[in-house]
Amino acid sequence: MTLIARRLAGHLARGFVMILVVATISFFIVNNIPGDPMAARYEKLVEGGMAPEAARQAVKVLYGFQPDGSLWQQYTDFMAGLFRLDLGVSVTRPGTPVLDVLTDAAKWTVLPVLAGTLLSFLVGIILGVYAAVKRSGKLGDALSISGSLLHGVPQYVLALLVVMIFSTLLGVLPADGSVDILYEPGWNAGYLGSLVEHALLPVLTYALSAYGGWILAMKSSVVTVLGDDFILAAELRGMKRSIVFRYIARNAILPLFTMLALSLGLLLGGAVFIEKIFNYPGLGWLLIGAVTERDYALMGGAFLLITVGTILANIVADLFYTVIDPRVRSGEEVS
Amino acid sequence: MSNQAPGVRIDGLTVVYKTPAGELPAVRGVTLTLEPGSITGIVGESGSGKSTLALSLLNAVQPPGRIAGGSVEIDGLGDVVGLRGEELRKARGKHIGYVFQAAQNSLNPLKTVGKQLLDLGRSHGVDDLRGLVREAKELLGRMGLDGARVLDSHQHELSGGMRQRVGIMLALVLNAHLVVLDEPTTALDMITQANILRIVREVHAERGLTTLVITHDIGVVAEVADRLAVMYGGRLVEQGPTREVLGAPRHPYTRGLIQAIPRLTGDIDEARALPGRPPTLVTVPKEGCVFRERCELRMDVCDTVDPEPVADGPRLVACHAVNSASASTTVATKEHA
Amino acid sequence: MSATLIPETGSAASTLRRNFWRGVWRVMRRKPSRLVGVVILAGFVVMAVVGPMLLPDPLPNDPAAITRPPSWEHWLGTDPQGRDVLALVITGSRYVLLTAAITAVITVVVGTSIGLFSGFKRGRWDTVLMRLTDMKLTIPGLPLLLVLATVWRFGSPWQMGLVLGLLGWGGVARAVRSQTLSLRERGFIEAARGLGLSTTHIIGKELLPSMAPYIAMNMLISVTGAVYSQVGLFFLGVLPYESDNWGVMLNLAVFQAGALITPNALGYLLGPLMAILLLTLAIVLVVDAMDEIFNPRLREE
Repeated sequence: MTLIARRLAGHLARGFVMILVVATISFFIVNNIPGDPMAARYEKLVEGGMAPEAARQAVKVLYGFQPDGSLWQQYTDFMAGLFRLDLGVSVTRPGTPVLDVLTDAAKWTVLPVLAGTLLSFLVGIILGVYAAVKRSGKLGDALSISGSLLHGVPQYVLALLVVMIFSTLLGVLPADGSVDILYEPGWNAGYLGSLVEHALLPVLTYALSAYGGWILAMKSSVVTVLGDDFILAAELRGMKRSIVFRYIARNAILPLFTMLALSLGLLLGGAVFIEKIFNYPGLGWLLIGAVTERDYALMGGAFLLITVGTILANIVADLFYTVIDPRVRSGEEVS
Repeated sequence: MSNQAPGVRIDGLTVVYKTPAGELPAVRGVTLTLEPGSITGIVGESGSGKSTLALSLLNAVQPPGRIAGGSVEIDGLGDVVGLRGEELRKARGKHIGYVFQAAQNSLNPLKTVGKQLLDLGRSHGVDDLRGLVREAKELLGRMGLDGARVLDSHQHELSGGMRQRVGIMLALVLNAHLVVLDEPTTALDMITQANILRIVREVHAERGLTTLVITHDIGVVAEVADRLAVMYGGRLVEQGPTREVLGAPRHPYTRGLIQAIPRLTGDIDEARALPGRPPTLVTVPKEGCVFRERCELRMDVCDTVDPEPVADGPRLVACHAVNSASASTTVATKEHA
Repeated sequence: MSATLIPETGSAASTLRRNFWRGVWRVMRRKPSRLVGVVILAGFVVMAVVGPMLLPDPLPNDPAAITRPPSWEHWLGTDPQGRDVLALVITGSRYVLLTAAITAVITVVVGTSIGLFSGFKRGRWDTVLMRLTDMKLTIPGLPLLLVLATVWRFGSPWQMGLVLGLLGWGGVARAVRSQTLSLRERGFIEAARGLGLSTTHIIGKELLPSMAPYIAMNMLISVTGAVYSQVGLFFLGVLPYESDNWGVMLNLAVFQAGALITPNALGYLLGPLMAILLLTLAIVLVVDAMDEIFNPRLREE
């Protein structure tokens, strides 16, 4: 238990440092943009007849720091704002704090990507076992190749193909937005049905693009475990096939769980292309919008949120491993 | 189920491995009898086919290998070469215990020994699982371990010697009376080696077992085995009572092996390594004697005719030179008389 | 004894090399599909190098045939300016593959140096460098690229390749480091030191050749990622549409020509899409073959 606590403390400390580093990077990017957006806005406000003091306050609200302070002053202001969860205000959505915009967008990313990840994980590990056991057969070969191809094809190509097939060609499912605006938001069948309908293709695309990785990883994990001595030993002791299978499955799936935890960390930033193509209002969609419209506060905030998610998932993945693997649990390092 | 030590008769056993160069024999025409209640040691270098022979006793030769001919008759089981499916599975563990090399991880790393013991019990339809645990603790205690603690441990928490004892426990706990030990002392330190061998001897006697020990270490065989069989290139070249074979080796390979051991007393230079290398699956000669390339007594006939083992009392030797010499001495003594 | 030893090791090395090529040949022959991968990959390289020279610059546009579906005259149809899509795919391949090549060079040079240094020096340097690599691997790549798109102009393949290379060396560094450490563990480096070989010799003549396959494979993987990222960035429309490349084509096809709605622009979309799919297929096949050549454990008997 103390080991877990020690590891947790170490991870949290490292995670904290990383978050500081990433925040600093995003501060400098926002601050050093050619043309200095803050100064430009400040001057625009002053030109527009605003008193310099008021204009400065307005820009401070927008970006979270004083436009004409020293770099250090701006930096500390920005960081202090972070700790108050104050990420500034979006320029393209006047008056809306960045944090609110982000939390609103996050739910459109988290649910579909989570569904897609879990779906692909389940299908991938089951077929992965099959591909490993039948690896010298035709079907096992086909499964592996399909896995490699899907794993290799970029997400946007998959997404475009999915739209072309299911939406353009067959016309069975919508591929635009998250819900039909016809319906009143709330717990009514029409609205919920429309939500699900719109989520199906993004989820399918995400699942397809992630599936290849799972089947390949599971296959190689099972192949490794099949060669382990303890499997032969269990067979020579006359263990039932079902028990031997459980031994194989549990040992093979262990590293996959860590990968799952890690991939959940990529969840927030993992669907950029899908959200763009399906016009689905998640975090990636938001980030692209912020970049094209040069909404720097929003861009910095989205980037920070996505990165923090990854860092936290890394910590969770490691702790998770500590809990499920007795070798790590008792303090023996498994390299 | 037999409660006495079973006898085992291996007859003309041939095991082949599928390679790009076709099916090559790893074990060829091996005939060997394990007397009930005896400890037999099989000695050979790596690649001599001894592990394949051991696996054949459980009909567990791993692909791409297969048993191509011969039979393995075990009392109470019949010919295991003919066993398939559930029958074969139940024979393993219950009738025949197999003990892995200690350095090999023969335990599921994610489960405690106790849980794997219960899995074993369930696999063999043991109703009284409490009794099984009691039996396991007793066995472990007999081997000088704290049974309760070991059952509650994972593999990585056990030392090599402890793992080996756990392996022996798992092989015996279902009351198997035929036990195969594959390199039981490899990768253990000297003191643990001695302990394990003592345990093997004592447990063998107490439980009334038939035991087969596979090893590359003549010292191990000298320590425990009643009978000794020497394997080379997939053939049994010599067998007989351990003391007689070690005291007066006849086959040139056995002689070479024994000469290669440095003695505690005497000059280190007296120990002579056997020249040349042991054959592999691919380099082993297709016809003639497998040992002829390294043999001091090589004759013309060795190139073409594979020597059959010839019995002389309790001993068997497969060598043209030795057998023709002993035949002529018998003839000579007869003439003399 | 020692006199006979030296030529023996020399011949052993050349036998090894010959065995390697025989292994390559064996793997290729056993599954001919892998040879297909090599051929397609070579085809793309030829297309990128020679292709644009054979086509007029700028490409002729036919105002009478704007956004047309595939036909005999224009195999993949025409774009909204009336240019032949196939010709666009060919000219666009140069940007994509040149970027990939630059990324490859930077990835290999930086990744190998850092990995070697880290694995060779160990100790504090190793810890610092690997923490840095971990950190870099933790920051999600695509969002970072999106943010960088606001401050960096990716107009030329050189600029794009530089950024992608500097972001992409983490994987190679990790692979090289773990290889170095495992060779060290097997006593490789100590043995070479014992023979009085200099550090440069050990690294240049002993370590690098034995690691070349791992470096090559990791390079291919990170290059694939780089190709996808650059096409993806242009596709997302966050970069200026200055250069002709597949990503710009995809973007214009989907978001301007409406290829997902009107079948007329389908060729415009399919052109770059097919090019990416073919390239992916080729790389998957080549990586698969390399894996089998260098990873004997995976060879199915």
